[in-house]
Amino acid sequence: MKVSYNWLKKFVDFDLSPEALCSMLTSIGVETSVVSGGGAWTDVITAKVLTKEKHPNADKLSLCTLTDGINNYSVVCGAKNVEAGQIVPLAKIGAVLPGGFQIKKSKIRNVESEGMICSEQELGLKESSEGILVLDENTEIGVPLERVLESDSVLNVEITTNRGDCLSHLGVAREIGAKLKKTPLLPAVKTLDVAELSIVKVESDLCPRYIGAVISGVKVGPSPKWMSDALEKCGVRSINNIVDITNYVMLELGHPLHAFDMSKLSSKKVIVRTASENEPMTALDGKTYKLDAEMLVIADEAKPVAIAGVMGGEYSGIDENTETIFLESAIFKPSSVRKTSKKLNLSSDSSYRFERGAAWDIAELASWRAANLIYDIAGGRIETREDIKTAEYEKTNIALRVPRVSKLLGYTVEENRIAEILRFLGIDLKSGGKEIIICSIPSWRNDIKEEVDLIEEIARIYGYDNIPNPHGQALRISTKSNSFFPEIVSDFRSKLSGLGFCEALNYSFSEIKDLEFFGLKYFHKIANPISKENEVLRPSLLPSLYRNLMLNASQGADRVALFEYGKIYAENGERKTFAAIMYGNVWQEWWKWAEKKINPKYDFYFGGGIIRNILPDGFTITENLSPKSYFHPGKTAAAVYRGKPAGQFGILKPSLNGDLKDDIFYFEIDIESLESVYGGEVSLYGHYSKFPSVKRDISVTADKSLQFAKIEKAVKNVMKTGNILKEYSLFSVYDDESKLGAGKISYSFRLTYRNNDRTLTDEEVNSDMNALLEKLDGELSVKLRT
Amino acid sequence: MNNIDQIISEALQKINNSDPGALELLKTEYFGKNGVITQILKSLSQYPADEKKKIGADANRAKNAIETAIEQKKELLKKAVLDEKMAKEKEDFSQIFYFPFSKGGIHPVLKTIEDISSVFKSLGFVVAEGPEIETDWYNFEALNIPSDHPARDTQDTFYLEGMKNLLRTHTSPGQIHVMEKQKPPVRVIVPGRVYRNEASDASHSSTFHQIEGLAVDENITFADLKSVLAEFIHKFFGPDLDIRFRPSHFQFTEPSAEMDMQCFFCKGKGCRVCKNSGWIETLGCGMVHPNVLKAVKCDPEKYSGFAFGMGVERITMLKYGIDDIRLFYENDLRFLKQF
Repeated sequence: MKVSYNWLKKFVDFDLSPEALCSMLTSIGVETSVVSGGGAWTDVITAKVLTKEKHPNADKLSLCTLTDGINNYSVVCGAKNVEAGQIVPLAKIGAVLPGGFQIKKSKIRNVESEGMICSEQELGLKESSEGILVLDENTEIGVPLERVLESDSVLNVEITTNRGDCLSHLGVAREIGAKLKKTPLLPAVKTLDVAELSIVKVESDLCPRYIGAVISGVKVGPSPKWMSDALEKCGVRSINNIVDITNYVMLELGHPLHAFDMSKLSSKKVIVRTASENEPMTALDGKTYKLDAEMLVIADEAKPVAIAGVMGGEYSGIDENTETIFLESAIFKPSSVRKTSKKLNLSSDSSYRFERGAAWDIAELASWRAANLIYDIAGGRIETREDIKTAEYEKTNIALRVPRVSKLLGYTVEENRIAEILRFLGIDLKSGGKEIIICSIPSWRNDIKEEVDLIEEIARIYGYDNIPNPHGQALRISTKSNSFFPEIVSDFRSKLSGLGFCEALNYSFSEIKDLEFFGLKYFHKIANPISKENEVLRPSLLPSLYRNLMLNASQGADRVALFEYGKIYAENGERKTFAAIMYGNVWQEWWKWAEKKINPKYDFYFGGGIIRNILPDGFTITENLSPKSYFHPGKTAAAVYRGKPAGQFGILKPSLNGDLKDDIFYFEIDIESLESVYGGEVSLYGHYSKFPSVKRDISVTADKSLQFAKIEKAVKNVMKTGNILKEYSLFSVYDDESKLGAGKISYSFRLTYRNNDRTLTDEEVNSDMNALLEKLDGELSVKLRT
Repeated sequence: MNNIDQIISEALQKINNSDPGALELLKTEYFGKNGVITQILKSLSQYPADEKKKIGADANRAKNAIETAIEQKKELLKKAVLDEKMAKEKEDFSQIFYFPFSKGGIHPVLKTIEDISSVFKSLGFVVAEGPEIETDWYNFEALNIPSDHPARDTQDTFYLEGMKNLLRTHTSPGQIHVMEKQKPPVRVIVPGRVYRNEASDASHSSTFHQIEGLAVDENITFADLKSVLAEFIHKFFGPDLDIRFRPSHFQFTEPSAEMDMQCFFCKGKGCRVCKNSGWIETLGCGMVHPNVLKAVKCDPEKYSGFAFGMGVERITMLKYGIDDIRLFYENDLRFLKQF
């Protein structure tokens, strides 16, 4: 909301610059900033334009001679509206304009200019303006501009949702007064005793108070300049004197008013009622709205003429022929106005204020204030006035226990200072016993409902920054500790980032079409999505990681390795999940390795190797018995934790590859089920030998149908029983059937033997190796390749 | 006597001018069968006992000096050879280092959550979590936000089909979950995802992260709130930054405040980061509203507490000078690799 600095001064006297006022208001919770201000210049004087000629070297510029009564100035001007005879603001050489812009002696297209004729924008008087500022023809010349110009600043006030009472000049002035210990002055109003003809009928308790007045004989016309100027500063367009008065009073006192043309009402009755279902109504914005039975309207006997508190009707407004007006000043229930405004998607300055609660007392003041301004400006006579109440207003009384203030703030504010702060907030005080103050809350402060609200008032006016914050104040400490990332996820993150993976972060949403592509089902649908992208909550991390992969591949990345930790939204609710996607070359080309042609891909075995490497003890890799639909059925495996399947990995089906030529490797694991059982297991330290080891390489042939895991298991058994085979590694796999025989495959192992206590002999090694070969042959028909 | 000193000085001079081959010859010259020193030692028997002792000592002195000098010179020559070799082996360090593995990275938003969490953990807070799919009660009602309140306007909500559940619009429902389970003293922070049903632009995202903080106990005061948050700012952004508290409004706290910190970039002088104000709006906070305590059956007469909440993306953007929130969710490797 925009307010005028000078207008505020009519309510409360203060001696603060616009900037100082803004920081004071901000410090008490009313965030305020200067939009534009006057007087922020030096050396700008009033001067008369004596002559205007075309600039010899430029079509769009003119060369003017100006006088301040003593000296003449030759000035180049670019504005179209400059004419001889005008009195204008002249920034002389050395003048400084808002924003620190300094006027220097300069040549413009080879012609010397001894200053600048200013526009309102250049002077910081308006946010934008066209042409130079032309002053009144009777303006004295040769005097500082600020002396002849009413200098004002426009301030922007941002209120929090609870402070509807600050949405006016009076409201802001009350805040200033509270801090500066001054009581704001209300505008003087004349009240008259007039007849109460029964015109108004209030049929709904959504309207607790309705004040209506009929004023006849008004002359509708343009507003006086002071009023249209005041409205303009606050960003309100001037329409005619009657409408402007209702707006002016709203900006002044904060209470929205509405004026109807009495002759346009079908009968001389004004009815406040709820609309009937689907009742149509054309509002001032020209649109026709369909109302429902929860919405409150102002109606004549035939049809609604206004949506109560939201907007007037198109056909009942004031125009140049209006002679008799009906002036409304009412209180509508905030929740009702809010619901109506939401449902119709229609809001206004009026609904904005009613939603935040209008003040009981101010409704009456505003009604008289507007009536007074109407006789003064538009003439006319008040015929009748009615004040109908469907509820009785009761002031809120709250008991404040003085010791509670220091108990909550951690700092003692003296009782008399507390009382002073509350009084200047317009709160009436009464003693309620020892250290208890009974506070009677003014009608405009509907946000103060209980004791703690009063404590906030005391703290904010006293100043939050005046409450000390002792360094290192001791708090009772909780002992349990925990982390945002479960331990297993922390492990994954640090290991993978060290392996060149980047951590991704994706939205929690999916598009149904995307899910279908992967054969995924969704379980949680959004009822009110803003776009297709937000249709459902993601049931897997795959679709977004896949999109990330495609984005990076399209940017030319030949290697994409990403992981993400987040929730998926499955049939059994929110599940913490970890996933990784990998694609392309494992490493970038390197000149040192070029001749060796080392260029591995993230294929099934390499990707699987990474996963096996990051999985902690307790995990085994097994056959994937129920692979997800997106995996290649022959290239997938399961990660099992203590017999319980937790994750799956593998290569995506070729149909999901798009334009990509290499395999896409994906891994997803349910963290939710692991979190409670996984405790960062510690395996005992294993002794290792100080004696030299013996290495043996062997190759064996096996049936292709035999799972490698079975061979591995046999090797591990021999390691256990013989206790000298310490390590094995698979260094070659060979499957040339023309050499090996149909259906055969060959594996080459390097075996490392070591004894913890002494150096091994050849015989010992041979005997252990033979035991292994016998076992392989006997149990699995795996034979030594010769 | 003179003779010995002269032998030593001559020898040292020869050693000094020798190459490795000449050093070997010198060894023979002095210590070989007919070597100078060998001859002296051999001739000792001709001298009377007292002279023998003296000449013997002199000869040994000469032997030690010359041997040591030869060894030192040998070392020196060896080193010179190596130095010369290394000088020829100079590699080009200027540009051809190249690491064949790509650079990995931790997402900046999650890194900020970890960093902030560790500061609060050091201040005695525990990290807790809450569900993202919430009910109206947890997200609004229990936090003193009734259904017709204008405060709901600022938090456009995603509802799930059936309208029974919604996606939490802030991490504040975490306060309710924690207090339902735990009696005071409570000190928790609740980091997590939150959702707003609004169109995305450079500074708005339908998904983002917040960190909520809560401390409830007997005698918790506004001064405690100020000191804990000051401690946080000083540990996270820098030890000398000023902070200020401005009155504000949140339905679930009373009194409520916005906390600003002095711009960590320009130290309050005014710059692009703080839009020339010298201050950066950092978080919202306040004393837990009695209605919130009542909602979890905690007696507001006995207990009080403070709560605060901050936007993680916002803080991350400030910290790294990122100007578009959408970059966090695009996952372009050229972005991710920078962290």
